[in-house]
Amino acid sequence: MDDKQIWEQIGCSFVQHYYQLFDTDRTQLKAIYTDASCLTWEGQQYQGKDAIIEKLSALPFQKIAHSITSQDHQPTPDNCIISMVVGQLKADDDPVIGFHQMFLLKNVQDGWVCTNDMFRLALHNFG
Amino acid sequence: MSDGDYDYLIKFLALGDSGVGKTSFLYQYTDGKFNSKFITTVGIDFREKRVVYRSNGPDGIAGRGQRVHLQLWDTAGQERFRSLTTAFFRDAMGFLLLFDLTNEQSFLNVRNWISQLQIHAYCENPDIVLCGNKSDLEDQRAVKEEEAKEFAEKYGIPYFETSAADGTNVNKAVETLLDLIMRRMERCVDKSWIPQGVVRSNGHSSTEQLNEDKDKGKCGC
Repeated sequence: MDDKQIWEQIGCSFVQHYYQLFDTDRTQLKAIYTDASCLTWEGQQYQGKDAIIEKLSALPFQKIAHSITSQDHQPTPDNCIISMVVGQLKADDDPVIGFHQMFLLKNVQDGWVCTNDMFRLALHNFG
Repeated sequence: MSDGDYDYLIKFLALGDSGVGKTSFLYQYTDGKFNSKFITTVGIDFREKRVVYRSNGPDGIAGRGQRVHLQLWDTAGQERFRSLTTAFFRDAMGFLLLFDLTNEQSFLNVRNWISQLQIHAYCENPDIVLCGNKSDLEDQRAVKEEEAKEFAEKYGIPYFETSAADGTNVNKAVETLLDLIMRRMERCVDKSWIPQGVVRSNGHSSTEQLNEDKDKGKCGC
């Protein structure tokens, strides 16, 4: 159990890195996406790092903090890593809201990039 | 609370920028208390209150009280992550539009909220009551009362300066909205335009009562 599988290690490091950047300066997340990356944010689709960063930068809050409740990682048949995150976030002084996020990570030139990213708030009965 | 012992079920939505005090306002209305700490909204999607509405007939004599079950809905702050959709506005009959008297931007955004309502609400001119909240923080006021009043007049909507903290005008604002809704129902001969589920009348007696009132209204014209 102590020896975490390699995809677990990579997935966990990515998740930690991602939310740290998101909570401090989300424009820096540009480095983890490529021009082919896809983001689905609350049902809206964005493709390419420029469009993705534009979307993330434009989110209307000054402060954001994520707290990760749990995360799962798996290797895929084509040597990628798929990660699912369940957590809570707090934007400015709003109430805490749950969220889910899923990432597909791909090894490109000795580094890992995020090719797919899906985000949803865990809200029910709010429309 | 949700037993069927009422004449009408009416859903209100509280709208406005984040941090203007929507949750506290609704909490003050339903529970008569101020809660400065945020309650996490998990599992709680709306607050409820039973009220009795008495309409005045054309002869000025109050009719039989209608038992109204009010559902007061709030956002969870999801508007920061995506725009509110039609689904969110679905079934809402009246809108409490709040801004923060100490935050000018929240007042400037009221215009956008009204446009949102005109697009997504059940009709283009739904009943709205505008509330300038946090009136207790007079020393931090950033929006003049005349300015807000003038704005509300232009849109033809009632305006109140409210305080979720000390309760000022909170009941009055909600009662005014309920009054607008009940009057709209009464003057509407063909109620088919009201989307299903917005106003749920319960049992026959109340509907008949309403028809009677309406007929009386017509004779009085």
